[in-house]
Amino acid sequence: MASATPAAETNTMPARRVLIAGVGYLNLRDLSIGPVLVDQLAALPWPPGVEVEDLSYGPVGVVHSLREASPRYDRLVVVAGVQRSYAPGTVSCYRWDGQLPGPGEIQARVEEALTGVIDLDNLLIVTKYFGALPDEVIVVEVEPEDTEWGEAFSERIAAMVGELVTLARAQALAEPGSGIVHGHAALGGLRFRNGQ
Amino acid sequence: MCFKNLPVEFDENGKPYLKEGVADPYSTSNRAAGAAMRELSDDQIRDLLARNGHIRNVDFDPVTRVAGALAFHAVADLDQRRVIAGNSMATLFRGYEVIMLGREPLDAIFITSRACGVCGGVHATCSALAMEMAFPVQPPPLGVVVRNMLLAMEFLYDHPLHLFLLAGPDYSQLIVEATNPEVWERAQRTPAANADLHGYGTIAALMEDMNPLTGKLYVEALHMTRVAREAYVLLGAKYPHPQTIVPGGISVTVTMTTMNELYNRLAQFFDYSKKTAAIWDDLTEFFYDANPAYKQVGARAKSMIDLGIWDDPDAYDATYKNCDAWGDRRWATPGAIIDGELRTTSLQAINLGFEEFVEHSYYENWAGTNFATDPAGGPLSPYHPWNKETIPKPTGQNWKEKYSWSTSPRWDRTVVEAGAYARLWNTAAAQKLPPSRFLQSTGHSLKISMPRAVLPELEMEWHIPDVWNAFERNRARAYCIAYTTAVALDNWMKAQELLKSGETKVSTRFEVPRKGQQIGVGFWGAGRGWLAHHVVMENGAVTNYQITTPSTINASPRDPWGNPGPYEEAVMNTPILETFDGPENYKGIDILRTIRSFDPCMPCTTHILANDRLITREVNTCACGVD
Repeated sequence: MASATPAAETNTMPARRVLIAGVGYLNLRDLSIGPVLVDQLAALPWPPGVEVEDLSYGPVGVVHSLREASPRYDRLVVVAGVQRSYAPGTVSCYRWDGQLPGPGEIQARVEEALTGVIDLDNLLIVTKYFGALPDEVIVVEVEPEDTEWGEAFSERIAAMVGELVTLARAQALAEPGSGIVHGHAALGGLRFRNGQ
Repeated sequence: MCFKNLPVEFDENGKPYLKEGVADPYSTSNRAAGAAMRELSDDQIRDLLARNGHIRNVDFDPVTRVAGALAFHAVADLDQRRVIAGNSMATLFRGYEVIMLGREPLDAIFITSRACGVCGGVHATCSALAMEMAFPVQPPPLGVVVRNMLLAMEFLYDHPLHLFLLAGPDYSQLIVEATNPEVWERAQRTPAANADLHGYGTIAALMEDMNPLTGKLYVEALHMTRVAREAYVLLGAKYPHPQTIVPGGISVTVTMTTMNELYNRLAQFFDYSKKTAAIWDDLTEFFYDANPAYKQVGARAKSMIDLGIWDDPDAYDATYKNCDAWGDRRWATPGAIIDGELRTTSLQAINLGFEEFVEHSYYENWAGTNFATDPAGGPLSPYHPWNKETIPKPTGQNWKEKYSWSTSPRWDRTVVEAGAYARLWNTAAAQKLPPSRFLQSTGHSLKISMPRAVLPELEMEWHIPDVWNAFERNRARAYCIAYTTAVALDNWMKAQELLKSGETKVSTRFEVPRKGQQIGVGFWGAGRGWLAHHVVMENGAVTNYQITTPSTINASPRDPWGNPGPYEEAVMNTPILETFDGPENYKGIDILRTIRSFDPCMPCTTHILANDRLITREVNTCACGVD
């Protein structure tokens, strides 16, 4: 877990703990925006209490990790490339409402998680079901343009990386209960969901 | 006799040679079609479907609660309560063999680890074994011992996962009550024989705790997977896809502190293994008593294959020429069992007898033979992985022609299955275990002394079964937790001895050869059984890389002689015991129990060929399966 200013070094417990994370597979171009952004986010200076981590190691493992965090995180900001059939490059930034599907669907997501599937939806569902998520979960989703095998982003997504870092950082640093931080009109097709 | 179909014999020194006078020794027309099962033609099936409402196409696409992309097509006669046709389909192309071509050999460890999101460590290790044979380099004793423990920790993750999270729900109250209410009713009044070990008074109470998400056994298994992962990471530093696996050993420092921390996790499996074996003993016997026809669910020939695992540090030298000697000293003995007979424990013979066919797979046959013999001079089939070329050729699905991305691996041209149970069976039958404080092979069973924890010390014994079916696969898998724990304990003690004596070296320096041709193979195993990586290098680059996994073997389509693969055969042998009012209520639980008993792990992640044969690209799941 990367943290520019880990709490341990400050000798004081930060007032709040925030985890800013990416999730997804590597080498799937735009779909890999989450884990790739983690490296850039980790290189930024952060105030005490903000940590950066790639959560692409399997939702069940993430459950274990988040549950043993002491103190527990107050906020999770998670970045991912997700195909939702929006226009490529659409960014959806929202506070997840934590609504879980029925037991059958949850079980299906757990099965996926246990057999290696790594994506935003099963991460949220599995960690929520097992009581590992903090109260505030802010999602930054990017609709990919190019999902083929390879390291490089599409031109469209590559041009957005700087703004995405800024957007994700703003969500991590926002005051408690302030909801989604707006003001990123430079991102084409930015959507704020849940009425935010 | 080792081989009955391949024209390979052995001289007085045990050296294999090709039988003289066979004009085309590896021709696929040399073996008569061995399909023991009467199969109907497509036209016959269509006619039956049209004329009879009780004959149903039953498609499981995808088969859920398995890792990756597996579909199964069955035709069931619901009046006669039997399956009359079955086809196993690996629905995605994996392509690691293509990805590896021309690459730096050391990259193989890290690239092929990604073949599986669940068991990447076994692929990394298997690749390292192949490299250390090709280079060559021999790891020091502690490097071998730590590798053994890492493998055991991976398995202690896999086994509970299979038993309670993937296959287990098929035996839970929710499923049993819905599919066989009469069995559930019986479970409520049936006391559990091993209540003193697992704490459940009745079979019904046990089944209730196997319910997904809420059952205590389900939740406990999730927890135990964490314990096993912690233990792995203590030694291996990272999972999935450890970065510490190298040819010639491992790249971590091992101390007494590390070993003690690992022991704290390992000890949690002492009682868990007793309890789990007791649970699956009780479940299995209960179903047999409820209806003896359950012995036919998932039944097929007692034919299986395994390469063995867990090397004796005093025997393993990483060479092919000595592979029979060090193979025989493994804590899991290599072996090929045909119709219940242990034909051989020779790694060389297992390797020579192994072939892959693509008549019913989305690949082209390859031409030519790069290697007429193995490095020890034994005759090698043109269909052997060292001679194989992966040439994807997607076409339309046709049950009589091509319908799967899995190839058809066969041993001695016989259908064999792979699984953790195969290593248990080989080890029990062969009586070749290295000195062990906790294990004893009797020839007909494996005795496991499980130390005291909260429960007292227990002498457990897995017996080679009289019948072979879905229940016995799961029961054996349950005993594999105890078996694995015992092996880990033996190796933990060996590590202590080495550390105490100052033998702390965990790796040997090596050079990657940059000139000439080298050949190697990793003989290893995944939680689900057999795992082999065959590599050929030339002038410092990989020129052929072939991975065969347990699911490649088990999910295989028909072979050139029409023999169905293990899933297909087992499903077609399965009676339909489910209770249902009409075809619309039929859920196919007996078929699903059969398929899941093999613990399928199929291909996935992302796959692409950068030419006109663009195949597919999926972000999916565990890639441990097939080509």
